Amino acid sequence: MTWQKVCAADDIANNTLQRFEVDGVAIVVANYGDGFQAIAPYCPHMEEPLHESGILETSGILTCSKHLWQWDIRTGEMVGMAEKSLLCYEIKVEAGDVLINIEKELVYEYDEEDELDDDDFFN
Amino acid sequence: MKIKVQTKGGSSDFDCGPEESLLYAGLRNGLALPYECATGTCGTCRARVVKGKTHLEWADAPGMSYVKQEKKEILMCQARARGDCTLRVPGKMTGEIKRDRWPSYFDGQVNNCRLVTHDVALFDVNLDKPTSFDAGQFVLLESDEVVGTRAYSMVNYDRETNKLVFVIKRKHEGKFSDWIFDNNVEGKSIKIFGPLGCATFHPKENKNLLCIAGGSGIAGMMAIVSHGCQSSYFETRNGFIFFGVRSKNDVFFLEELSNYVMKYPENLEVTIALSEETNASGLQEYYQEYYQNLRFATGFVHAVASEKMADKYVDMLAYVAGPPLMVDSTLRMLVLEAKLPGTNIRYDKFT
Repeated sequence: MTWQKVCAADDIANNTLQRFEVDGVAIVVANYGDGFQAIAPYCPHMEEPLHESGILETSGILTCSKHLWQWDIRTGEMVGMAEKSLLCYEIKVEAGDVLINIEKELVYEYDEEDELDDDDFFN
Repeated sequence: MKIKVQTKGGSSDFDCGPEESLLYAGLRNGLALPYECATGTCGTCRARVVKGKTHLEWADAPGMSYVKQEKKEILMCQARARGDCTLRVPGKMTGEIKRDRWPSYFDGQVNNCRLVTHDVALFDVNLDKPTSFDAGQFVLLESDEVVGTRAYSMVNYDRETNKLVFVIKRKHEGKFSDWIFDNNVEGKSIKIFGPLGCATFHPKENKNLLCIAGGSGIAGMMAIVSHGCQSSYFETRNGFIFFGVRSKNDVFFLEELSNYVMKYPENLEVTIALSEETNASGLQEYYQEYYQNLRFATGFVHAVASEKMADKYVDMLAYVAGPPLMVDSTLRMLVLEAKLPGTNIRYDKFT
């Protein structure tokens, strides 16, 4: 387990999202007021870049404005019309810095291991 | 040709014509395949060909940026089968299309084309057979004289009707709008496929309505308000309509909207937002003589709606239609300020 600094906690305003690259891995960090969450950078629906399309409410609900899929940013769980949860990295704040633990890059099924390749699933 | 579609919910088979879009063939057979624009832009009808051969009618469609061609993915709206095929479609297929709303092909004639502003026209299409559709739906129009299909929402709301009414804004280098504006298209033949679209109004949902439209996005809203008035919906529910245009030269449908408000003056409010005008009280005076029951405001339509709607979002269903920037700004406002859940927002983004 390797914790790496992403940014200072003060760098991300409340209820906003920012995209970072850590060791060549793209991530999006959300400051939802009561805490931080680090997620894979794209919407699991149609790969919209969430730091641009994402709307973060004070309630902690993240909405992708492309097709209105929504999640609870605190847990990554689906809300409303979403059909896939967010993939989240371990994250913590220490001494004013945001740290995340990247064991491997998190990618949605439409990418590396596309569910459409899964013959067992469809047969 | 036989097409098999595999989804998470199981598989379905349907027949497809030799030069027919795979999406349209599935939809006209009642299959609720995923789609949004049906014209190659949005990428929603992505699928993978696991057996058989297909050909893409418009290989450079903007929506192709969403597909992985090396994995034999296609946009179903643009794909034609070259024999029997098996497709895999990601995501869920949402429910079934009601039997009387299964889309189909029609032949039609353009009639009664009339200018309503310097760059907006209305036209009717008379169909060879009657159709029914939901308020807020659109059809695809295709003329032999212009390459490609275009999506237009119906302005009217009628059941078993032979007439569809459309509004069209002249677009810079828009081939279809040039065809309508620059030619005498009266009586010209046109092909129609539809009805399509899920941003629809159903009175049984029984919620207050907020409609925010930019420019010709007002088309589907007119059908929604028409259906609401026909079904006495606004006797018990509120309707708030916001119609955004640029200037006094760009307004239309004022008489029709005023007539709707006249029927339900207590519960139906219509506000015209003019983004390039600066004198709101002057506007109200300017229009007062003829349209006393309409409200006029200056600014972008989403900002005007935000200001006028504060604290009125109780039990609300919102419809949004217009150019992409206007729709994006409005969706942001509805999520952040109105705090409407995504399930209570329906939108139609022109692309």
